[in-house]
Amino acid sequence: MKTVKILIALVLAVCAVTVIYFAQSAKDSLPGLLETMDAQQLAAQDDKMLKARDRVTDALEEGDREKTLRNLTRYLDGFSDKLTFSDGVNRELMLFKNYPVLTAGSIFLLAIALALVVYALDKGKKFKKLALPLVLIAALYCGIYIVENITGVNSMLMTVLKKGAIYALIAVSMNLLNGFTGLFSLGQAGFMLIGAYAYAILSIPVENRAQVYQYYAGGLIQFSLPPLLSIVIAGLAAAFFAFLIGLPVLRLKSDYLAIATLGFAEIIRAVFQYEGLGPITNGSNLLRRFTVFSTALYPFAIAGVCIALITLLIHSTYGRAFKAIRDDEVAAEAMGINLFAHKQLAFVISSFFAGVGGALLAMYQTTVQAAAFTSAMTYEILLIVVIGGMGSISGSVIASFLFVAASEWWLRFLDNETMIGSFQVPLLRSGFRMVAFSAVIMAVVLFYRKGIMGDKEFSLARMIGWTRHRKEAHDER
Amino acid sequence: MSVETMLELKHVTMQFGGVVAVDDLSMHIKKDEIVALIGPNGAGKTTAFNCITGVYAPTNGQVFYQDKLIVSNHPQGRMKQLYVGSHKQFPSEVVENTPDQITKLGVARTFQNIRLFKTQTAFENVLIATHLHRKSNLFSATLRLNYKEEQQHRELAEQLLDAVGLLKEKDELAVSLPYGKQRRLEIARALATKPQLLLLDEPAAGMNPQETEALAKFIVGIRKRFGLTIFLIEHHMDLVMDISDRIYVIDFGKQIATGLPEQIQDNPAVIAAYLGVDEE
Repeated sequence: MKTVKILIALVLAVCAVTVIYFAQSAKDSLPGLLETMDAQQLAAQDDKMLKARDRVTDALEEGDREKTLRNLTRYLDGFSDKLTFSDGVNRELMLFKNYPVLTAGSIFLLAIALALVVYALDKGKKFKKLALPLVLIAALYCGIYIVENITGVNSMLMTVLKKGAIYALIAVSMNLLNGFTGLFSLGQAGFMLIGAYAYAILSIPVENRAQVYQYYAGGLIQFSLPPLLSIVIAGLAAAFFAFLIGLPVLRLKSDYLAIATLGFAEIIRAVFQYEGLGPITNGSNLLRRFTVFSTALYPFAIAGVCIALITLLIHSTYGRAFKAIRDDEVAAEAMGINLFAHKQLAFVISSFFAGVGGALLAMYQTTVQAAAFTSAMTYEILLIVVIGGMGSISGSVIASFLFVAASEWWLRFLDNETMIGSFQVPLLRSGFRMVAFSAVIMAVVLFYRKGIMGDKEFSLARMIGWTRHRKEAHDER
Repeated sequence: MSVETMLELKHVTMQFGGVVAVDDLSMHIKKDEIVALIGPNGAGKTTAFNCITGVYAPTNGQVFYQDKLIVSNHPQGRMKQLYVGSHKQFPSEVVENTPDQITKLGVARTFQNIRLFKTQTAFENVLIATHLHRKSNLFSATLRLNYKEEQQHRELAEQLLDAVGLLKEKDELAVSLPYGKQRRLEIARALATKPQLLLLDEPAAGMNPQETEALAKFIVGIRKRFGLTIFLIEHHMDLVMDISDRIYVIDFGKQIATGLPEQIQDNPAVIAAYLGVDEE
């Protein structure tokens, strides 16, 4: 069995590498291809054709793939009678159009091959548990890449995925505090705001600053940092504020803590709009033209790493201490757990990741304005945490994608006035979506209080066990 | 080096408003002893425990652990006028240790009304109590660089569960265990903090005579096995008379008798406190 597995893995790997090789060579083949297709040099005589062709090459040089493909299709359709399509040219064209998908697919095949080798060679069964999840994660990321290339970066599906990933990170960070440490805090929007502003302020390229800070003479800060560094600093800024706020506030309990943190978030929102801070925060004006991400893989990668870190933390000795505080403060303290230090730690870590989430949200929105970070945003996140299940990371992740998809996409039709024949469907109008949404939420809270996952985690083993169990039950019958 | 006195209380007084819950309690516990604190309901036994473990700051008096001052207080603020305790001399300094600091010094306790971590399994309950012995910091713990220490802690937790006879129920939720086992789990959890002095608050509450007898053997057993000094509050006289080396009796916060079990059994003041006296 071992050799068979390794052989299959080898075949897969060879296939994948070959495809990657061809796909990568197709990446730069377009200029040559255009020459070959136009075998009779007709473009030189036809002005229109030359312009259409130039549009393709210009878009290619800009690096805008969607535009390139659009112009290419237009060029090919418009002048198909004048171009020669040999088999070779057709194949090359196909490769150029699909090379991202092919590359992603091949990388996925490589991941499977690797997992197979691990599976075959692993004696202690130590990595077997890791192999399947790793393959699935690789599949997820490859899948996102493929879908993005098929539907385009700005399709509704990609919008939902991007925002869902960012909200997932923020919801998990809130769950760390509310679900795992038992601190009912409502300051999340405030920390997201700090993160978003810190990121935007630091990453606006110097040449754009004069335009962005037009009312403040180009602003005070005249340097710009690389995006990744800015994101980390955004997190640290939020964490620093959390540390300061935590000193007085974390001595409060339950409702009082919620009120104090909610107040903090509101104050922060006002402070960031204060005219006097204009040279840094741009007052109540938009911050824009900072570096943003161009692919959904970026928020997915960062949110994925952050959520993985939070998960590791929760399953470490510190996470156990957090859960002990949630379950029984008196007993936790009697077991030698310093209550204040651990609450402070959870608060600062949660805020760090909320800050990172805020930075990603800023990138997603491409503009930042303090006025948008209202307490309603905190409630949205809290809702996701409650629907997903207090104390379940996977619950928060699943719920955030569902929430974003429902609010941005699936329930959109409720906002449009709809006619069936000459009959106008009653109630459907702008804003009705939120009414329907509120009803859904009330139903969840009333009848499904523990949320989707309760305090359990999504587990492959359990799912496999469950399906097997079902199958056995079915077979017996 | 051997420590002769494990715990010493000097004039500990705890006053809530006008109510004196513990009044001028002085006692000492030697190493390896089992000492019991008894008294009728509401006599102030648990309050005395809470003063020792830092849950309450006593109004007056001092607590020494292994000759080190761990708690010291005198009437302050409003209490200066309200103070009615019988001991009128006040220590000059204030020493306030929080419960976690006192636990770190080596004093562990259990609770009268069981306080287990409800959403956690038996094993996790014990494992949580090893947290205070960690050498890892946040980063090494998150990135699993502390796996050796983690392994040691897990082994310790299993050993302790084995010692209290709960290894089989390791992965069951703490709340789903029967009452007697929850009591033993609480003791295992306290032991995981590696204490030298163990305070047991009514360990036999709600147990039948057979269970109580087993518990007596169990307490004597863990004292020997872990080299503990044990200070317990208990209502079951059988248990107290059976295992204690010495007994303190308090009533209405005041110490009314102290001595060996045989002396306490025949002490008229104790009998009066428990059964009442005839008006003559």
